[in-house]
Amino acid sequence: MTSTEFDTGRETNEAQIRTEEEPMSETSPAAPQSTVQPLVSMSRISKNFGAVRALTGVDLEVYPGEVVALVGDNGAGKSTLVKILAGVFKPDAGTISFSGSPVTIGSTSEAHQLGVATVFQDLALCDNLDVVSNLWLGRELNVRGVLDHVGMETRSWALLRELSARIPSVRVRVATLSGGQRQTVAIARSLIGEPSVVILDEPTAALGVAAAAEVLNLIERLRERGLGVILISHNISDVQAVSDRIVVLRLGRNNGHFRTDDVTNEVVISAITGASDYTR
Amino acid sequence: MYGFGVQSRHPTPGSQTSLREANRARIVESLKRHGHLTQVELAGATGLSAATISNIVKELSGVGVVNTAATSRSGRRAVEVTLARRQGLVAGLHISKRHLRVAISDVDRTVVAENHLPLASDHRYDREMDRAALLIGDMVEALDATMSDVLVLGMALPHPVDPLTGIISTPGLMRGWDGIAIADAMSERIQLPVVVDTEANLGGLAELRSGAARGVTSGLYIRVGYSIGGSLLINGNPYRGGSGRGGEVGHVVIDPHGSLCACGNRGCLEVFAGGRAMLELFRDDPGIHRLRDLLLRAEAGDSVVRRAIADAGRHIGSAAAIVSTVFDPELVVIGGELAEAGEILLAPLRHELERATIGATAPTVVTGTLGDRAVVLGCLAAAIDNVAAEWKPQLR
Repeated sequence: MTSTEFDTGRETNEAQIRTEEEPMSETSPAAPQSTVQPLVSMSRISKNFGAVRALTGVDLEVYPGEVVALVGDNGAGKSTLVKILAGVFKPDAGTISFSGSPVTIGSTSEAHQLGVATVFQDLALCDNLDVVSNLWLGRELNVRGVLDHVGMETRSWALLRELSARIPSVRVRVATLSGGQRQTVAIARSLIGEPSVVILDEPTAALGVAAAAEVLNLIERLRERGLGVILISHNISDVQAVSDRIVVLRLGRNNGHFRTDDVTNEVVISAITGASDYTR
Repeated sequence: MYGFGVQSRHPTPGSQTSLREANRARIVESLKRHGHLTQVELAGATGLSAATISNIVKELSGVGVVNTAATSRSGRRAVEVTLARRQGLVAGLHISKRHLRVAISDVDRTVVAENHLPLASDHRYDREMDRAALLIGDMVEALDATMSDVLVLGMALPHPVDPLTGIISTPGLMRGWDGIAIADAMSERIQLPVVVDTEANLGGLAELRSGAARGVTSGLYIRVGYSIGGSLLINGNPYRGGSGRGGEVGHVVIDPHGSLCACGNRGCLEVFAGGRAMLELFRDDPGIHRLRDLLLRAEAGDSVVRRAIADAGRHIGSAAAIVSTVFDPELVVIGGELAEAGEILLAPLRHELERATIGATAPTVVTGTLGDRAVVLGCLAAAIDNVAAEWKPQLR
């Protein structure tokens, strides 16, 4: 190949790049950002428990179809922040908006109505009930006052199949299921109310490799369904595998906000430990 | 897939026979996912009626596709169904930039178990190898087999491994895996002979054996995903070259003044059309973080995304043209995550290839038929080839 050939190649490439970038700068910032606004936006959230300042001016945004990982050391305020979103605590200061309109979340049922579903670390499943009963507990379907067992079972199967869940039977007691299957049931249960935001608190902690794989795949399914997912985890490589953005909390404050593709383990860990200061 | 005369060769679409065939496939798929299930559980997992399940299971066990055994569930008698397999299993492990995929098959190429999980973009060899070994162990156990039944592990990595040293030929492309004798490190963890190759070579091998490139004597396979790899398919086998780097289309320089590539050169194809480069174009868009998001947007008709994919196709076409002029393949097969974009990617690729290849006829360009499973199927094929080479006297 001669240099002239390369030069002409370069020119066409540059031309292509230019045409790539021009429509980008004109349409792309306008198009997605006008239509896509955050599902949930929490800004300047503060919360004190007596003298303990659990959260100070913390921001968190979640877009549809996005997995946001919330990471931090023990006592960094991760659980407090998601409990505020789930309606367990009321913030002392700060605003929460859903799809752009400000709301106050007074109770867990209000959070539920707004479309926030939470899967807590202890899963809150009833071991003595089967999968169907657990999924529909408190929201049982009925036909003229009689429980619609068939309807609930078929819809359970439909949901589990949609999530590609590896549950062999929906009529076994939850106590007999493996850790990953129990986590799957807990996540499926949170989806029964058609939420827009799902909060997962340490979903892969204490799971074996196969079970953790199942949960990670499930998180990808949730993302593909267009839900906003808030993932709390201590496992940085799981966080990097499934999340789109990482929000770091340290001692009740934001210490860094990264696009997952841009950061390495080391950066995230140094933000968590405070070795690097990313407070704005 | 089933060559045992359960069904007629070509059932009419929509007929009773084709419905039955679809139901059979559903049952086999469920068994692959779960390892073993009772008939009642199969009914739930497939959505078919208990009577249909019972009939089809009877039929499949009659021809030796599944095995049945009496067992009990919650105190009731039940029939447990497993996929029948021949003596001897092989495992396949595909480690990609963002994905880990595992499959287990018998030496007759019947895949009996599959699993996958997402990976961090900057993964490390130790954690992923440990995880893969545990995952394979779990899957083998779910098949009621032991690790001693597994004969060979075939493994694919995104980048070439030097056949002499066993380490990644080009340092810097996969930082967490540099300087490690891959096959030895994996073999130590899983206690099996391990064969390692690039995902492009193994994807190409699978397409040769059972996909789009069947019967082709000179073909070029290009895997377009988060990275771009390629494979020269010559006389039924991928050609690896001296240091395993043969066919690496992703690092063909298409612009000597382009930006730097992780391989140490400037202006490689991957810098223009690799997944990372494509996603970088949309970094301000909160809805695009993965190639999958790009594909969904393109499908929904987003013109900017379609243009970006088309430009990638054009760049791949100009690199493919360079390879084609030198190597003159009869067929170019495009695989990998981005191949799902179909004609959005392929049409400009073809156009560029035709424009810049010597002579009147450019090679035919098609997408692979094995989809995202191509590479793991190639891992299994390579493992089986190795079984045949080393173990045949003991097996037969």
